[in-house]
Formats: sequence, structure tokens, C-alpha cells
Amino acid sequence: MRNKLGFIIGFFVLVFCLAVKPAFADSPRLIIGAVYVGSVNDYGYNRSFHDALTQVARELPGVKLLEAENVPESTEAERVMEGLVQQGAKLIFPTSFGYSDSARKVAKRHRDVCFEYAGDGDTAKNFGVFFGSTQAAWYPMGVAAGKMTKSNKLGFVIGLPIGYALGNVNAFQMGARSVNPKAQTVVVVTGGWSDKAKEAGAANALLDQGCDVVGMHVDSPATIIQTVEARGGMSIGFQSIEARALAPKGWITGLGFTWAPFFKDVAISVMAGKFSAQAVYQGLGQMVAIAPFGASVPAEVQGLVNAAVTKVASGFNPFTGPLKNNLGNTVLPPGASVGADQMGNMNWYVDGVIGKVR
Amino acid sequence: MPEARMAAALRTSQAVRISLRYALVCAVALAMFAAILLAAGKDPLKAYADTFTYTLANAYGFSELLVRMTPLLLAAVAVALPSRLGLINVGGEGQLYLGAWMASAGALMFPGLPAWILLPLVVVMGFLGGAIWGAIPGVLRAAKLVNETIATLLLNYIAPLIVSFFIFGPWRAVDSSAYPQSSAFPEAARLPSFFNTRIHAGILISLAVLLAYWLIMEKTRWGVEMRAIGGNPEAAQRLGIPVAVWIVIALAIGGGLAGLAGMGEVMGIHGRLRQGLSPGYGFTGFLISWLAGGRPLGILFMAFLFAIITSAGDTLQITQGLPYSVVNILLAMILFIVLARRPARGTAK
Amino acid sequence: MTTPLVLGVLAGAVLSGTSLLYATLGETIVERSGIVNLGLEGILLIGASVGFSVAAASGSAWLGLAAAAAAGGLGNLLFGWLVVTRKANQLASGLAMMFFGFGVSALVGAPYVGAVIVGLPKWRPSWLDGLPWVRSTTLFNYDLLTWLAVPVAILVWWALFRTRWGLGVRAVGESPAAAFAAGRNPAVLQYQALSSGGVLGGLAGAHLSLSLTLTWAEYMTAGRGFIAIALVIFSKWHPLRAIAGALLFGGAEALQLQLQARGSDISPFLLEMAPYLLTILVLLAWGGSRRLAAPASLGRTFYGSD
Repeated sequence: MRNKLGFIIGFFVLVFCLAVKPAFADSPRLIIGAVYVGSVNDYGYNRSFHDALTQVARELPGVKLLEAENVPESTEAERVMEGLVQQGAKLIFPTSFGYSDSARKVAKRHRDVCFEYAGDGDTAKNFGVFFGSTQAAWYPMGVAAGKMTKSNKLGFVIGLPIGYALGNVNAFQMGARSVNPKAQTVVVVTGGWSDKAKEAGAANALLDQGCDVVGMHVDSPATIIQTVEARGGMSIGFQSIEARALAPKGWITGLGFTWAPFFKDVAISVMAGKFSAQAVYQGLGQMVAIAPFGASVPAEVQGLVNAAVTKVASGFNPFTGPLKNNLGNTVLPPGASVGADQMGNMNWYVDGVIGKVR
Repeated sequence: MPEARMAAALRTSQAVRISLRYALVCAVALAMFAAILLAAGKDPLKAYADTFTYTLANAYGFSELLVRMTPLLLAAVAVALPSRLGLINVGGEGQLYLGAWMASAGALMFPGLPAWILLPLVVVMGFLGGAIWGAIPGVLRAAKLVNETIATLLLNYIAPLIVSFFIFGPWRAVDSSAYPQSSAFPEAARLPSFFNTRIHAGILISLAVLLAYWLIMEKTRWGVEMRAIGGNPEAAQRLGIPVAVWIVIALAIGGGLAGLAGMGEVMGIHGRLRQGLSPGYGFTGFLISWLAGGRPLGILFMAFLFAIITSAGDTLQITQGLPYSVVNILLAMILFIVLARRPARGTAK
Repeated sequence: MTTPLVLGVLAGAVLSGTSLLYATLGETIVERSGIVNLGLEGILLIGASVGFSVAAASGSAWLGLAAAAAAGGLGNLLFGWLVVTRKANQLASGLAMMFFGFGVSALVGAPYVGAVIVGLPKWRPSWLDGLPWVRSTTLFNYDLLTWLAVPVAILVWWALFRTRWGLGVRAVGESPAAAFAAGRNPAVLQYQALSSGGVLGGLAGAHLSLSLTLTWAEYMTAGRGFIAIALVIFSKWHPLRAIAGALLFGGAEALQLQLQARGSDISPFLLEMAPYLLTILVLLAWGGSRRLAAPASLGRTFYGSD
């Protein structure tokens, strides 16, 4: 009788322990919070962060990831970041340019939480900024486009005219000009990072106006690449090197992001209590990767592109004066240059770009 | 005296009954939403517990409820006031945007003014912006040209485009990057905020407006006249009430209140004019006013409930990995239940 | 080779006008029966999301299209249960449907974000290939929905204005009591109008995800449901005028993109504003005249024969 009772009690204690155990075992060493402006499966920008952070959480034991998708660049962002802090996040990645004001406010309130903001501006003790220097990397993309185009008109779709997007367009045009003096780049702004129907319309408009190579700076390149492919145009991808699967015929090459090594370093430094806020801008070979060439790209063009890649990797900065904007005014006197850390402030188009900033 | 006491007791029991009914509606909706969460492989009890922990039982979460309620209260009164005349204002969204735009214009054009002039100025301009957007349909309706439901709805599309035009064009900040937003407003134009949270003076404006609405409707001759027009406009006209004037004034004031909501968002929270400054506050305000039957206390309660539900979206997303938008299903469930159980007889117009 | 502006705008207007036209036709039928559905945006979203999810899961865009049509019809039936059977306020019910659509489409579509689908097939009759400029544009290279858009508009016009059913629907929209007295059943006619309108709304959403963009993203309709509601007003509740209206509203978007692609610096927002200003002007010009105006009983609840 006693034995039986003891057995039953023992059984329940065991069950209780089993039930409760995960709660103890689960207590993570670091909770990382991530805020995305779109969906993590978008074949593009948001997925690049999601993949990198998932990799970090997998490789570092005790790191847990909390994610918030489709967070608009409005009052909502601050609320979501505050929610992540409440949930115990000690490292937060606000990954969209428009989160700047919100992220800085939350960082001021919570000095013990570290922030890595994908953008520019001042750093603070707990607020670092970073971004991939895609601008210089778009220069070799322009070389590829300049050689592949038959109409000498290149198209570029951008979501919002932020400095980084303008820098991408400018380097693209300069790269194209370097191999094709007649090359022009036409820019269409859709007005949002993810307005799919407008992206399709923009790509169609560019093709209608005679562009035969289209690049883009929107969250997901999928709609634009597929629209261009269906009409027999060529595309240069952005945000994800996987996007080449969407264009078996018209794919030239493209750029994607590889954030994982940097994110891992940051996570380790936060866990060690040694976070130091910096402005980190890394280009080709570090945060930025080049996608394989499409089947239609001749070896000669590949050679030129690879040469341009080497040139950029060894420190060539296309944004070096003398440089004129597309209104004919000098924006960079001889010797002056725009570095990766000032790219967010760019507000002009280089000569040969068809489009207006404001 | 006993009669008055009995009436009071009757009113109390009625209030209890109404509260119970609201509670029942919420319970049924929560149960239905729980079924959906279960089907999606989530834990509804944990989801609800988390929502409670991070909104009501948490100082920051609670402060954010008040932040959310600020524009909702104004947007709801913006609908409730004209509805007393039988007017349907579905233009709160546009009126909110134009209010934000006019207030921004004030702050950007007179950056040098001291706070004691600039702050009242931007408040008045915010009100005026919305009032203009409300008065246009009012005039069209009073002149029997266009039905106010259609006119207010159409003006919703135009106001955000005006805002976009200015932040992409003339007002685009030159200080930092080319991101489409206006320059930061001068400190003197900003509504003061309290307790190191985002609660700002807009909540005081909202509550004052709600109180004034109640006083005017219940205690003044204006309220009587407005209800007379709502009941029977032809008879009111014969009694010498200037119906056309009332229509314009009611829609203008309603619009002005929605405009104040927009002013509060830009001056209290953003500090600049940007795109997407309202996630549909105007439409939510319509629903709140309708659910509350235009009653001030009901509006307060419903705005609070809506604030909790939308906050639940954040929690669901962070702790349960569900898209934020899914919380809209819970909102819709509550609305469906209320809509389905109360035939709005006699209020249809 | 540069396509002339007019052709480019026309091509773009047809592409973005297709879904607008289907949505407008659906809402026209519904409003002709005296019901206004402000939740059209939600119906479009459900159509886009369900269509894409089914196409991604099954590998067939046609199945997706059918599912989207069914989902749109079901969505409007739910709305009908509220406003016809339960006699709920139409505007509030419509906004509730809008929120419902936001939520349901996000939940259904979430697993399929980023999926790659084969969209609806497009074809251009070979004899049209020979026309100047056509080859270099999207003109006449359409999927089934675009090819059928104008015939469907004519069909809707015929059904509403040339059949006994349409007479009944319009009679209910003018005066349910009179229609009831004439031996018609207002509730049945309204349910029929709602379900057929919902099917068209579902197709409108599906065109966005299954043909135009080949993606699903939350809130990808970006206000097109509301544009369609404005379009119904613009076209004065008439299916044939809706064709012109959809081309105009779609053309405004196409024009601003084409102008950008030609390096013009007219503000896109002023161009987008134009159709709405025009709608208000049209209303003013025709204001007061009873002919060609809104169905008299639009938005009102019919409580039966008493």
C-alpha cells in the first residue's frame, strides 16, 4: 500500500520534472530580436537577414531569435522593438532604413540593450550602424549590363529614393559607361519597398521605353525579374543571389548579402559583455556577394566583370571626383570622394542617369 | 426622490447588463479566435496570457494603449457627431491626413516662433485642415449635389496623395538623406509627452473633446436641435432650424476632430511628416463610433478594446510567430458577432 | 526601340486595369442590388492569397483561379449573411469584412510567401504580331482574365439590363418593398448579386497574384479594392462605363510610370490624384439628376414587407 502510494507520488514528481525541465533548460544566454519591413520569405532583402540570423542562432549555443515581420516604418516600429525588449532581447537588429528614429528612441530608453541598425548616422554606446557597401559592387554590375545591352538603355526600379538606392544606380551607370560610352540608365520609383503591382508596372514601363537590362532596389526582386524574363529582357538581381532561379534565360548576374559572419561576431561580443558600437560598412567579399553568371553571358564579358570586381575589391571607389550630376553641375571636385559611411546622404544622380531625385 | 433613486438603480442595472453583454461578445470572439490559433498550431492560452502580461499588466504596454487610443477617440467622435444629424462620415482617414499636413505646414513655415504661439497655431491648423476636408462634403450635401457618404469616401484618396506630394517634393528633408520625409519639426511645435513614454498632450485633447461632445449633446440646445434634424429634417426645417448650416458645421467639426488626430500623430509622436502615418485610424474610428452607438462612454470603452486587440497583434507576432495581420481576424470576429446580433433598425440611412 | 507614350500607357492601363475592372463589375452588381460593400479590399486580398496558395500547393494556376473565385464568393456570402439575413449596418459590416480579409489572407498566404509559381498562360494571336509596335509591348499578349474582361463587362451589362433577373436586382436596389410587392424575393436576389459579385472580386485579386506579379505579399492589393469602389461611383453604377473607368484609373498609374521611364518630372502623386478629382467633377456635373444616379435604396436595410 505504502509502496504503491510512493510509486504514484514518484511517478507524478517525475512527470512534473519532465514537464518543467524544458523551462529551465531553455533559458537562453542571448535573445536576439529582429525587425523586418517585409516577409522573411520574400526572396530578397528580409530573407537575407533572416537566413543570417537563423544561422547565427544555429551555430551559437544558447542564442534565441525573436522576429517581427511586416513592421511598417511608422509608429508601429517603436512599439515592436519595445516589445522585443520586454521579451528579453538584448541585441536588436532594426533592418530597415526608415526605422532610424524609432530605433534610436528605444535605444535611448534601454541602455542595456544593444542595437545594430542597418543604416547610417551617429553611433551611441549601445547603438551601432552597419550596411553592406553595395554601391561600389554595383559598378561591376554596370560593366556587365553595359556590355550586354543592345539598346544602350538600362532600367532601374527603386522603391524609395534613399541615398543607398541612388548610390547603387549611380555606380551602375558609371560601370556601364566605363565599357559603353552610349549607356544610359532610366530610373523608375515605385514609392514603397514592396508594392508588387507597381513593380510589375514599372518593369513593363522600362521595357516599353526600350530598356533591355533591368536592375532593381526593392525588397524582393521576384516580381521584377519574372516580369522582365517573361518579356525576353535581361535582369541584374539584387538582395538575394538565389533569385537567378527566377530567370533561366535573361539572368546576367546579381548581388546578394552575406551578413552571417558579422552578425556572429556581434552576438559573441554582446554575450561576452564587450559590445562596441561602430559604423561597419563592408563590401564585396564580406557583406556583399556576387551571384554566378547566367548562361547567356559570353566569356569576354565575364572577364571584364571579374576585372572590375578585382578593381573594386582592391579599393577603387567610383565616387571620386571630378564628378558631375545629371543636371550638369559638379557634385564632387577633383580629389573629393564619397565614402561608404556617407552613402546614405547621397541626393543626386550621376551624369547619364535619366531621373529626378525630387 | 425615491423615483430618482429608482431611475438611477435602473440605469445602473442597465449599465451592468450592457457591460455583461460586451464581455460575452468578447468571450465568444476570443473562443472562436482560439480555435483558429489552435488550427494554426499555436497555443491560444499562452497567446492570451502573453497579451495580458505585455499590455495591461505592464507599465510600458499600458502606456502604449493610451498612445493608440489618442487618435482613435478623436476619429470616433469625428464620426459620432455628424451621425447625430443622420450624416455618415467615412472620410476620417482623409481628414486625419489633411490635418497632419496643415499642422506640419504651420510647424515648417514658422519654425522661429516661441512655443506659446507655435503650439496653439499647429493645433488650430490641424483642426482647420480636417475641417476643410469635412466641410467640402458638407457643402456638397447641403446643396443636394453629392451624397456625403460618397464625397467623404472619395476625399480619403486625395489627402494621402497631397501628403506624399509634399514629402517627396517641396518638403523633403535636406538635412540628411533623400528618404521621403519632412525635416524634423522645431521643438516648440512638439506636443509635450509625459512619464518618459509616448503618451503626449494629444490624449488630453482627446479626452476634453469626448467630454465636450457629451456636454453638448446632453446638456445644450445645440444637441437638441441636432437630434431634431437627425430625427426628421423636413420637420426641423419647418421649425426654423437652419438644416443646411447645421450639416456643413457638423461635418466640418467632425473633420476638424479627425484633423486633430492627425496633428497629434505628427506633433506628438513622429516629429516629422511621413508616409503611412495612419494605419486606418479613420476607418477604425468609424467602427468604434458605430459599435458604441455614438455614446461617449461607449466610445471610450471601445477605443480601449481596439487598442488592446491591436497590441495583441505585436505579442502574437513576437511570441507565437504569427503574422501581425492575423489579429485582424479577432477584430473581425468581435465585429461580426456584434453586427449579427443587433439589427441596427431605424439607424440605417 | 522606344514605344510611343500612348501605346505604353495603353498597355500598362490594360494590365493594371484588368483586376480593377473585375472588382468594379463585382461591386457594381452588388451595389445595384442596394448593398454597398466597403470590404471589397478584403475580398480582393482573399482572392489573391487563396489563389496564390492553391496554385503554389497544387502547381496549377487554373486551380488557383477557381479557388480564388470560390473564396471571393464565399467571402461575400458571409457579408450577405450579416447585411441581408441579420440586417446589420452595411458600412460597418463592410469595414469588418475588410479587417477579416487582412487577417485571413495573411494567415492563408503565410506559408507560401516566396513560393515560385507558373502563372496563368498568356497568348497573342499570331496575326496581331505583325502590327507595328505590338511585338515590343505587352499589348494583346494577355491571359484569359484580360482577354475576357470586356466580354465579362458586356455580360454583366446584359445580365443587369436585359434579363428578368437583372430587372429584379435593380428593382431591389431601387426599392426592396416595391420589388417585394411585385412578387420578387429581395433577400434571394441580393444573395445572388453578392455571390456573383464576390466571384468577380476573387478573380480580381487572383489576377494580381497569379498573373501580374506572380507573388503573394501581405496587403499586396495596396488599396485597389477602394479604388474599385471609387470606380463604381465614377462609372455611375454602369458596367460598360466601368470599362472606360478601369482604363482611366489604370492608365493614371501607367502614365506616371511611363513618364518616369521617359525622364519626365511631373509628380506621380498629382497624376494619381487626377482620376479622383475627375470622379468628383463628374458627380458634380451630374449631381441632382435622378437618371444615372446611385440606386435609390443603396446602403439601406430592408426589414421586410411591413
